[in-house]
Amino acid sequence: MFVINCPHCNEPREEEEFHYEGEAFIARPAEPETQTDAEWGDYLFMKKNPKGWHWEMWGHSAGCRKLFVVKRNTANHAIDGAWTLTEARAAYDAEMAKI
Amino acid sequence: MSNLTFNPVMQSPLHHFNLKTKQQHVDGSKGVWANEMPLLGYISLRGNAQNALFTKAAKKALGFALPILPCSLISTSWGCIYLLSPDEWLLVCDRELRTELQQKLEAALVGIHSQVIDNSGGFTTVFVQGKNASDVLHHCTVYDLNALTIGKVVGTTFGKTSVFLHQHNNGYKVIFRRSFADYIWRYLERSALPYDFGIANLGSS
Amino acid sequence: MSSRVIHKHSRVDFSKPLSFTFDGKIYQGFAGDTLASALLANGVKTIARSFKYGRPRGIVGAWAEEPNALVQVDVGARTTPDLKATQVELYDGLVAARTSGWPSLAFDLKSLGGRFSRFMPAGFYYKTFKWPNKFWPIYENIIRRAAGYGKSPIEPDTETYDHKHHHVDVLVVGGGANGLLSALLAARSGLKVLLVDDQSELGGYLLSMPNVTIGNLYARDWVAKIITELSNSPNVTLLERTTAFALHDMNMIQAVELVQDHLPHHERKPEQRRERMHRIRAKQVILATGAFERPLVFGNNDLPGIMTVSALTTYFNRYGVSCGKNAIILTSNDLAYQGVADLAEGGMNITLIDTRANINPLWAARFAKLGVTIYPGYGIDQALGSNAVTGAKLVKLDSIKMSASINCDIIASSGGLSPTVHLFCHDGGRPQWKDNVLAFVVSATGRANAGIYCVGAVTGVFGLQESLSATCETITEMLAALNKKVESDDLSFNTDEINCSPAHAIFRIPTTAKAFVDFQNDVAVTDVELAVRENYRSIEHIKRYTALGFGTDQGKLSNVNGFAIAAEMLGKTIPEVGTTTYRPAYTPVSFGALAGAHVGDTFEPRRYTAIQAAHNSRNASYETVGQWMRPWYFPKPVEDIHAAVNRECLAARNNVGILDASTLGKIDIRGKDVREFLNRIYTNAWNQLAPGKCRYGLMLNEAGMVMDDGVTACISDTHFLMTTTTGGAAGVMSWLEKWHQTEWPELEVYMTSVTDHWTTAALVGPKSREVLAKLCSDIDLSKDAFKFMDWRDGTVAGVPARVFRISFSGELAYEINVDASYGHYVWEELLKAGAEFGITPYGTETMHVLRAEKGFIIVGQETDGSVTPFDLDMAWAVSMKKPYSFIGKRSLARSDTARTDRKQLVGLLTDDPNFVLKEGAQLINSDNITPPVPMLGHVTSSYYSAFLGRSIAMGFVIDGIKRRSDEGNNIVYAWADGKAVKVKIASSVFFDAEGARHDV
Ligand SMILES: [Zn+2]
Repeated sequence: MFVINCPHCNEPREEEEFHYEGEAFIARPAEPETQTDAEWGDYLFMKKNPKGWHWEMWGHSAGCRKLFVVKRNTANHAIDGAWTLTEARAAYDAEMAKI
Repeated sequence: MSNLTFNPVMQSPLHHFNLKTKQQHVDGSKGVWANEMPLLGYISLRGNAQNALFTKAAKKALGFALPILPCSLISTSWGCIYLLSPDEWLLVCDRELRTELQQKLEAALVGIHSQVIDNSGGFTTVFVQGKNASDVLHHCTVYDLNALTIGKVVGTTFGKTSVFLHQHNNGYKVIFRRSFADYIWRYLERSALPYDFGIANLGSS
Repeated sequence: MSSRVIHKHSRVDFSKPLSFTFDGKIYQGFAGDTLASALLANGVKTIARSFKYGRPRGIVGAWAEEPNALVQVDVGARTTPDLKATQVELYDGLVAARTSGWPSLAFDLKSLGGRFSRFMPAGFYYKTFKWPNKFWPIYENIIRRAAGYGKSPIEPDTETYDHKHHHVDVLVVGGGANGLLSALLAARSGLKVLLVDDQSELGGYLLSMPNVTIGNLYARDWVAKIITELSNSPNVTLLERTTAFALHDMNMIQAVELVQDHLPHHERKPEQRRERMHRIRAKQVILATGAFERPLVFGNNDLPGIMTVSALTTYFNRYGVSCGKNAIILTSNDLAYQGVADLAEGGMNITLIDTRANINPLWAARFAKLGVTIYPGYGIDQALGSNAVTGAKLVKLDSIKMSASINCDIIASSGGLSPTVHLFCHDGGRPQWKDNVLAFVVSATGRANAGIYCVGAVTGVFGLQESLSATCETITEMLAALNKKVESDDLSFNTDEINCSPAHAIFRIPTTAKAFVDFQNDVAVTDVELAVRENYRSIEHIKRYTALGFGTDQGKLSNVNGFAIAAEMLGKTIPEVGTTTYRPAYTPVSFGALAGAHVGDTFEPRRYTAIQAAHNSRNASYETVGQWMRPWYFPKPVEDIHAAVNRECLAARNNVGILDASTLGKIDIRGKDVREFLNRIYTNAWNQLAPGKCRYGLMLNEAGMVMDDGVTACISDTHFLMTTTTGGAAGVMSWLEKWHQTEWPELEVYMTSVTDHWTTAALVGPKSREVLAKLCSDIDLSKDAFKFMDWRDGTVAGVPARVFRISFSGELAYEINVDASYGHYVWEELLKAGAEFGITPYGTETMHVLRAEKGFIIVGQETDGSVTPFDLDMAWAVSMKKPYSFIGKRSLARSDTARTDRKQLVGLLTDDPNFVLKEGAQLINSDNITPPVPMLGHVTSSYYSAFLGRSIAMGFVIDGIKRRSDEGNNIVYAWADGKAVKVKIASSVFFDAEGARHDV
């Protein structure tokens, strides 16, 4: 029952307007046919599922229908930001660079 | 075979509630008044707001620039343009104007990546007004109606489905898909029960 | 009525008598009473029998903390079980009854068990009723009946409920002194304020403390003044009878309002709700939730006539009820003293037993004047009496020396206050133990960064003057963070309280008699002892082993005593033991309030097509498909489903039928890259499909499993119209958007749902062309001009239409799409035109039979998320040559999906043509059903085909495709209802394999 700021609608909205779309930044391998079964299986099924900060995709299903990225703490539902898909990668990379 | 003659009849999504026969003159006797604005024209438009070719062509066809701020709408001489998403608009007009508007848009947008669709069969609009209009809608939607300023349109929840909402004549317009009309109207009626609910005559919208 | 004390402070209106019924007897009370105060005024002492031992129990508390007085209120459709009599507002004509004590309150069978209670310690049920397993249902039945909680209503509720959403700057939970002050200060700064309070009247414990003054005003006048100012502020909403029962992430509070349950039946309005659930999103939450006084634990402390001091005081001051003439007050702290003074002034004979050796001299002097006898340094070893308290045996605590017994008709005890920290802890906050106040408390501003502030007793500040000053500071800090100033210059927080001396850290008085920690669950001190002796160490485990703190009161009185006693036995401090977890709901919430308006015809969205009225007029039976209501079949008088479906199938095969196919998802896709987009989304190839043509497509998820299918039409090189399954439409739309937005933003395509815009009528059967020809003059319908899998634009019955020549039945068929505004009209025109051919409307059941006769799959029936196109024998729909590795393609080559001996879809035929297999029946290799039996697969679809004159079925069988053509190995058995029926594996296309019927 948290509130998410949709970066497209540009205002905070109730969780009921959104749907969860899983972990963010799981890119589809460019050459699926060259992947081993194990590599392809990792892409399909292996998720981070951390306790703590998690970068994930949400869709604004009742609103603008856009997918976007949210940084959410899975332990306490704190939300640290929401970005459009085009902005999110830079935010994520900047944070990873700090670690 | 050329001697076929037909008299096609249209029905709005809330036709089966016979709202016309129940409508009353709006006065202060009820907390909430509502009715369907039946059989309007609805055109879905998709395109890239950052593409000047697209926005210029659309402006030329529509006579008005597309709203591009998040959750904004503009009123035009022929109806309303709602921004539903950064690359999606809904144009609402009288049904008679729909074909002309659609054709103008399609003509103007030839060769520009875009989508123009007549969706008139798929939508309807209900207006809700009266002193308890926002009370009733707060039973129906999670959206904070205090944040719904004039000139703003939002997609949000209504019961267990979703609608578009904006302010209209000291009340609200609720725009939604045809197949949910029965559910939405019943949900509205049920929610309005404690406030006394009247079917407004259409002129009062 | 002898125990009524009529005094000016009482909040009960003695000029308004009310009559009510309890356990079949009629009593009188007054407006303003609770059921509990009225019962006490009528001398009703025993109100329940205890859960495990059947011991008589009376009223202990005065509000939500009450553990014993659970009652069934009202009868018939409105009946509600397990309400606390202490929270039920009295109204004229109220009918209530006990919920425990089967078969009767006066004589409970279990009280016989009470004599053998040493045989029923904690864990008794677990240990005794564990074996043998199969007897558990019998045990459970008896235990539950004996437990004797109330009865759920069995009739539908005649009243209604709803939900309301609020978005406010400040939510104040609690309308006591500190809650009112907080609301006032917040309101004065112009913020939008909502205050909720669970009682019928604002004021909180001040209503029980009428003699206290705040800034020269009597408490009630101070309350009235603040309420007046709040009521006159347009930015303030006050909700009474509203319990905030949960605090969720980011300050979402759920509260339930009792809208008219407190009114006599004839005053309840049918248009008003019974209860309303408020869902409040607040930028700031101020928790002014107060505290409950906890009792001390001593021997026989569960006898009727033993309560908390605050309850005794509340009944006296607020409700004008004297619960006894001769009271023994047992306390370990000064907080109970003001009440003692009020009671003594009111004429009660009081013996004060204070566990502390030294009494505050100011209080001692005052008590001496009031004739209160004081026993400093004493405790109660045990209460005396069998069905109600008649006295107490005292014990001198420093010497554990038994002392004389004293007679009394009421005992009240106070072990200090337990702050109501529940809401603060619902979303993960933890309370802290504070030794100086002997309580788990929460921090006033410790969660200010989350917008949660706490004021009053919940923070462990129990003095009135001290707490009001602290509240003012806290709210000043909150407002400062919002760049607002507090306006409090006109307020005085001076009271006439006597300062408290330190409380005594005592929770129980050792005794040989049975001493209860948790009344509702019959948990005694010895049970906690036993749990520790049996090596339970975590308080969460001790709770679950003993049941301490469970039940409808959730341990509001018992938890802290239980934690303290466990700590003592574990040799730990109380903070080391900690608390159990506080979870919503704070108090029980009715199902009605949770459901709100999501009941009846608004339980779930029911989606209807534009032709709904036509289906109703033809007596359709419906089934839900996703959220859609689809005609299932159209029975004529006296027809059952089988007769109707047989008739509908034969009509479609021999003449013409008509199906409402409007529910299929329709997605308009446009852009120069639309073919490439479809190539990636579908398994088959889309480059060659010419405008005017349609193609069937199969959609996989990335794991290679079938997720949707449908026919997609090429409108132009840059414009396609996709259809999806009815149930999959919304999911497919999101799926397309997801891939476009995340992986392929460079593809120039836009997609928009047009499902609702089009009404689709499928005209099916050998006469369909003749019917359509009567209504359509601008499309050349001839076989060669308008071929199978073509579409054409034209008009039907004078309405612009897009007609697809596609078939889900194997017959000549047309799907006619028109603007849904004309849907009903066109449908009726088609039926009129088809009348001469016996046109027959049919529903989803006939559609299923017709497609099964042709071996067409239904996604969701033949597939379950674990089925590949190859499992379905649909390799023809997969193009492995497309350059882009379409969604799911790589997974088809994974070692498990690529196996050739997976479960595969085949046709199934019984020997007996009239025997219809059960869908879901397991397929096995022989008719020997003695376990273990290897499962080969199952039946997915099974029907009687009137056209073929026999039953047909489809199902999955391991290696089924090979076995289908292996004469020696093509027999399996379908196991259902304890029977194994012989089945031959066959082709799933049961007739017209060459497709001659649609090629006409
Ligand atoms: Zn949005």
